[in-house]
Amino acid sequence: MSTVTANKTTPTDKNDRRKLYGLIAEFETPGQVVKAAEQVRDAGFKWWDCCTPFPVHGLDKAMGIRPTILPIAVFFAGLTGTIAAFVLQSFTNASDFSVWALVWVTGYPFMISGKPFLSVPAFIPVMFELTILFAALGTFSMMFGFNGLPRLHHPLFRSKRFRRVTDDRFFVVIEARDPRFFQSRTQAFLETLEPISIEAVED
Amino acid sequence: MSHVNVTADLSERNVELGSIGGVARNACLAVGIIGLAVAFLLPVFGLADVTWDIFWRSWLQTWIFVLEISLGAFFFVIIQHLTRAGWSVAVRRPAEVIASNLNWLWIGFLPIVGLLVFGKASHLFPWSDMEALAAHAPEEAHLVAGKEAYLNTPFFLIRSAIYFVVWGVLATYFWRASIRQGTETGDRTTLKMQKISAPAAILFGLTISFAAFDWIMSLSPAWFSTMFGVYFFAGTATCGFSAIIITCILLQRNGRMVNLITNEHYQDMGKLLFGIGMVFWAYIGFSQYMLIWYANIPEETGWFLARQMGDWGWFSVWLLFGHFCIPFVFLISKHPKRNWRTLVFAALWMLFFGWFDVYWLVMPTIPHDLSTFATYDAAAEAYAHVGTGLLNPVNWLLLAGMLGIFTWFTIGRLRSHPLICTSDPWIDDSLHFENM
Repeated sequence: MSTVTANKTTPTDKNDRRKLYGLIAEFETPGQVVKAAEQVRDAGFKWWDCCTPFPVHGLDKAMGIRPTILPIAVFFAGLTGTIAAFVLQSFTNASDFSVWALVWVTGYPFMISGKPFLSVPAFIPVMFELTILFAALGTFSMMFGFNGLPRLHHPLFRSKRFRRVTDDRFFVVIEARDPRFFQSRTQAFLETLEPISIEAVED
Repeated sequence: MSHVNVTADLSERNVELGSIGGVARNACLAVGIIGLAVAFLLPVFGLADVTWDIFWRSWLQTWIFVLEISLGAFFFVIIQHLTRAGWSVAVRRPAEVIASNLNWLWIGFLPIVGLLVFGKASHLFPWSDMEALAAHAPEEAHLVAGKEAYLNTPFFLIRSAIYFVVWGVLATYFWRASIRQGTETGDRTTLKMQKISAPAAILFGLTISFAAFDWIMSLSPAWFSTMFGVYFFAGTATCGFSAIIITCILLQRNGRMVNLITNEHYQDMGKLLFGIGMVFWAYIGFSQYMLIWYANIPEETGWFLARQMGDWGWFSVWLLFGHFCIPFVFLISKHPKRNWRTLVFAALWMLFFGWFDVYWLVMPTIPHDLSTFATYDAAAEAYAHVGTGLLNPVNWLLLAGMLGIFTWFTIGRLRSHPLICTSDPWIDDSLHFENM
């Protein structure tokens, strides 16, 4: 049985009619949300999401999410680190030309225990470390970038019901900006997924 | 919960090897016997310039490679119990069987024992005949004399016996207990295996390090590296993990374990091979190299110098690229790990370079007159003609021989029991395991 709750939130701001953000459908188990996600995917929605308290295996596939390109980007971030470390060390330790980097800097060939100036084994630890550093920072910043983070507020936080997403409830969210979104029709569609409740959330 | 509905077919037809593999098994035995016999004939008739010194060195090298396969699989089994891994139940039995070969592999070491006992091993282990060493390399003899309390034949044999007992007993235990676990209900045996896995891991770490010191490092007794045991361990992971992957794929190609071993398992085994057998190996190998390169002490650098002179220079470069650089780029993405064709290619490649690595460790000898050269270039020029002997048929015959017998045993043991422990408490976890 699905109980449909109309949005009763009276706008607190005076005379300010809020825009509809979307519809959220609440489910009780991961299995239900995976099944629902498959149907939303097949219905052709583009601007929608699933919110769960923990990672649900198989949900990405059920939602039809394309694999992330993050790993490829991270590989090149790491490669940049490797090359940067090599160039930096060979320039500073094994060359004597000047380069303009805000100020003029000059390489200083530095003889260490009789080794050749360009001693790759000595450079490798730094190349390794910078590879890791660039890859890690790249992962972190690109993940934030791709996800539109940091974000301090989200319309879904207005919903009291949605708070249980951090505990024991699973939600499908269809946003109003989706071209296939029509409040009444989408609501009827969500009801066919047999959620325990549907709520309209305003922006 | 899983959205991909995999029907887990645990029927006998799917989880027992049955009559399959009989022909292959006999062929392996034939290759094994013929390989060893022909290899043996080479030094007897002096064919292909094979002397007994070369023969026994190659024997030791090949035997260590085969041993590495079993030790790597043994390590795999231990860590699964130690970490209470659920995902690996579907692939653990092949690993246990490969590891169980440790209870007879000691036979391959008996000829070396014979050489030591009859005092004929001075070309292999120079410390075993101090008088001969003092005669032609007094400086080295002086260094090695200080290690006599450790490097002497009786103690060496006692230590070797300890390694074989520890490995043989533990590997057989994990194999047998897992079979017993498959015939009973409840988790008694599972818990016991977990309990034993912790001391087993410690014993494994100690024995494998000392075995590396004894059997490989002491081939050049004046040289030493504290990192050596770990380097050998990384090599065992390379060979063992590759062998497990190849075995699982062969089983599936023969219509067994269908839908029981999935791409998810292959991806994780690929990760282990990538992480430990490739990256960790390179990390340890470089750490060992860089400290010696930086300090630049003749006592230590001789070992690497011997691996840079003549053809060994290119050999070392191949080792670096073949064991690390090329497979690193090939296997870094998840896609080649999830495709059996690319994964089996990577595993075969890594198994070959695991062998290549042992060859690099065992076969070169450090010239005794290195310290008489004024410069590196002078020494390199004097020994520019040194060959690696890689293409000598004795290596390949012994490899075919020992691998043949090893495979014969492995297939036989795979056939005698189910290929998966069907009553393991984590069997469901494993069959429905997903990475993403």
